[in-house]
Amino acid sequence: MKRTLILAISLLVLGATFFAYTSLNKEHTDVATAEVLQELSAHELFAAFDANQEKATLKYAEQVITVTGLLLNKDLSNNQEPQIILAGNGDDGFIRCGFNAEYLQKAIALVDGDQVTVKGLCKGFNDAGDLDLLTDRDVVLSNCILTTLDQPET
Amino acid sequence: MRQITIITLATIALFTLALTQHSGGVYKTNTGNISFFSHTPVEDIAAENHKVKTAFSSANGKLQFSVLIKDFEFEKALMQEHFNENYMESTKYPKATFNGIIENINTIKTTTQGIYTAKVSGKLTMKNVTKQVSTTATFTVKKDIVNAKAVFNVNPADYNVKIPKTVINKISDNIKISIDADYAHQH
Repeated sequence: MKRTLILAISLLVLGATFFAYTSLNKEHTDVATAEVLQELSAHELFAAFDANQEKATLKYAEQVITVTGLLLNKDLSNNQEPQIILAGNGDDGFIRCGFNAEYLQKAIALVDGDQVTVKGLCKGFNDAGDLDLLTDRDVVLSNCILTTLDQPET
Repeated sequence: MRQITIITLATIALFTLALTQHSGGVYKTNTGNISFFSHTPVEDIAAENHKVKTAFSSANGKLQFSVLIKDFEFEKALMQEHFNENYMESTKYPKATFNGIIENINTIKTTTQGIYTAKVSGKLTMKNVTKQVSTTATFTVKKDIVNAKAVFNVNPADYNVKIPKTVINKISDNIKISIDADYAHQH
């Protein structure tokens, strides 16, 4: 009886230690291998946030999604996180996709006007509200990877 | 006579345009850096965000920031999760903003290379709480960019960030916020 009790307590302590260890050392989402919540166009993604930011944040934030859109330009001004901008909606709506620093050369190789497909972790909508110097609005993706790179149709 | 008048007016117009572009422009970036650092004897916690949207006007000194809370990256995934879900409630309050002014904008020559000290003050909003903050920033005017760096401290309790008693000794009540942004002139 005593031996069984000791064994049960030992297993319990072992289990709790294992749980604590795995929780503390939980890995960040690996975008490359993560399951995709949804595949959508840059216009569709922007429209979802533009229509209802709260609802879109609940649906997409911290989720891995695949977004396809027209590459407007590359923003390589921050060497810690090269970024590209996809057309979202007219002159003030964009999808801003951030890559790990190792992705810099691949980002440089992209050509404005390319149709690109990006897989990334959606972080939400950065519209600056009533801040008049910050009128452009971005849906933000992080830890992105390029899944395809298609040339525009000629 | 008419020709001279036209030439004079055109010259004035061009001069005015050039003056406007040089002295009254908006400088902007979407790739600014904000990091924060919490130090306690028990644990150090740091996080970074490299997609900070910020701009300033060299005409009137307005300075604005908008930053997505969920885009702060921590070394440990669990810390990041706790930061977003328990402390910042970033789904409910997705952004932090700053709306302020560079008080001595007239002394910062954005067309003359050099290092300038700026007095910055304004309203910092996080978790729907707005507080007045002020700090000193360093503006470095380079060839194509204006770099701004600033450091200031915040107390999480001031912004309704509730720290559970069980971890209160792990999170500082004086968190250091560092800003580093390269602004480009908007044409």
